Amino acid sequence: MIETLKRKVKAEIKERLDAGSYDLREEADEKGNIQLWIKLHNRKDILHIAQLVKDFGGRCVIISAYKKGDHHFLVYHLDIEGMLLNVEVELLDNKIDSITPILDSANWTEREFKEMFGIELIGHPNPARLFLDESIAEGVLGEYMPLSQAMNGAATCCMWEKIESERETHEN
Amino acid sequence: MKTKIPIGPFHIGLEEPIYFKIDLKGETVENVDMINGFVHRGIEYLAMQKNFFQNLILTERVCSLCSNNHPFTYVMAVEKIAGIEVSKRANYLRVVADEVKRIASHMFNLSMLAHLVGFHSLMTQTMEAREIMQDIKETIWGNRMDMSANTMSGVKYDLNDEKSSYILSRLKELDPLVDEIMDIYFNNKIVKARTVGVGVLPKEDALRLGVTGPTARGSGVNNDVRDRAPYAAYDELKPNVCLEEGGDVYARTKVRWREVKDSIRLVRQAIENLPEGPVVTQKRPHVPAGEAVTRSEAPRGELIYYLKTDGSQKPERMRWRVPTYMNWEALRVMIPGNKLTDVAVIFNSIDPCISCTER
Repeated sequence: MIETLKRKVKAEIKERLDAGSYDLREEADEKGNIQLWIKLHNRKDILHIAQLVKDFGGRCVIISAYKKGDHHFLVYHLDIEGMLLNVEVELLDNKIDSITPILDSANWTEREFKEMFGIELIGHPNPARLFLDESIAEGVLGEYMPLSQAMNGAATCCMWEKIESERETHEN
Repeated sequence: MKTKIPIGPFHIGLEEPIYFKIDLKGETVENVDMINGFVHRGIEYLAMQKNFFQNLILTERVCSLCSNNHPFTYVMAVEKIAGIEVSKRANYLRVVADEVKRIASHMFNLSMLAHLVGFHSLMTQTMEAREIMQDIKETIWGNRMDMSANTMSGVKYDLNDEKSSYILSRLKELDPLVDEIMDIYFNNKIVKARTVGVGVLPKEDALRLGVTGPTARGSGVNNDVRDRAPYAAYDELKPNVCLEEGGDVYARTKVRWREVKDSIRLVRQAIENLPEGPVVTQKRPHVPAGEAVTRSEAPRGELIYYLKTDGSQKPERMRWRVPTYMNWEALRVMIPGNKLTDVAVIFNSIDPCISCTER
């Protein structure tokens, strides 16, 4: 069954993307699970892949971001009926189109790479911070930051001191 | 009358820190906004500063209730990159450890449900039965939470006849207790009054949001990784996927109880058919450059690890996603339209784990 699905997905990819604009390799394990690894040369093509996954009734599992040299890479992990598509995109200009309008399941993970790596996200319906406070600059995953600051003092006495001082100013 | 009510970030009705801003109309929730990030610790960054063996320790401490799944999925990724073959015995032992954790985790969540609906004797009863699983963990792995069962190329523990018959005898004790308690959760008036029709997640929303685990299965979506993309010994020890159609708290409760029963069966089956062989094949494997993605079914749902290596002793990039990460957004569908008193019950029904969601 998974073989048929793989053939269908591969045929669709071939139809929707220009020849030569991507590399594709297959990976199979001894349990019969198949993963497709796709490398896109044009970052805009991720929208076609997202639409394809949606048409197959799939979902976005997660997106992994990492930095190599002076720019970022994204690896999209998309699932269609148990088969994984790992789509690699190189971001030469540190910008990417949001796939959340197509796949709702990508909502959180796009916001996360935006705040952790400072990647510019185009067309996300709700590009608000996910975990980090507004006071922390984007792209913090590459630098040292004390826990108390990252958590906005929520786990230390800082928060209570802040509340106390605010109350005092309020009362005065 | 319209009112705004904040719950959290630290609140007696919540197990973990999360901030709900609730718009109420009378007693009914109209809209809910959620703010998270109170326990974000930057563990992903830390993982990239540690070597492959240190990360075995670190990943086990990302979360407590699904602590076994983190190193389990992580080592599968390392093994895939390094091309290490795991013995059949080790794979069976991995299943034993994983299913034991699943039973304990589900029963903890279910007892919390009893607590939240105010049925405290039922909570005590569930926790008391769960104590059998805690005893098993302590006896076999030496710890009540972090079992440290997995290592690269196999497992760190082995079962002899004495240990195997201990687990089987304790499971024999647990089985009738589960039947008895399950019946209360399924049929008791108090439990049903607080769970049936509460916090409904329709199937189409479950598919759209990509929810996983019992939250998805309660809405009739089969995302069970053990069935969809088998790993370890799950191609031989087949789980029965428990699906319900209701999509409410009651449906998710039923899924969890049925999975407890199924996990007991799987542990028994794994122990009774335990193949012979070594538990570890390579003591200090070399990890070459490469990348791999592995998944497993944690008690709360699908857990995925992405690992990229460059031939050094440390990962170049390691990324993981826990089930609660996906189930979170479903709360926006589940909570509106329900009573304020049900918010904590609905929140509990996705079995939230904020500690590992925010890392």
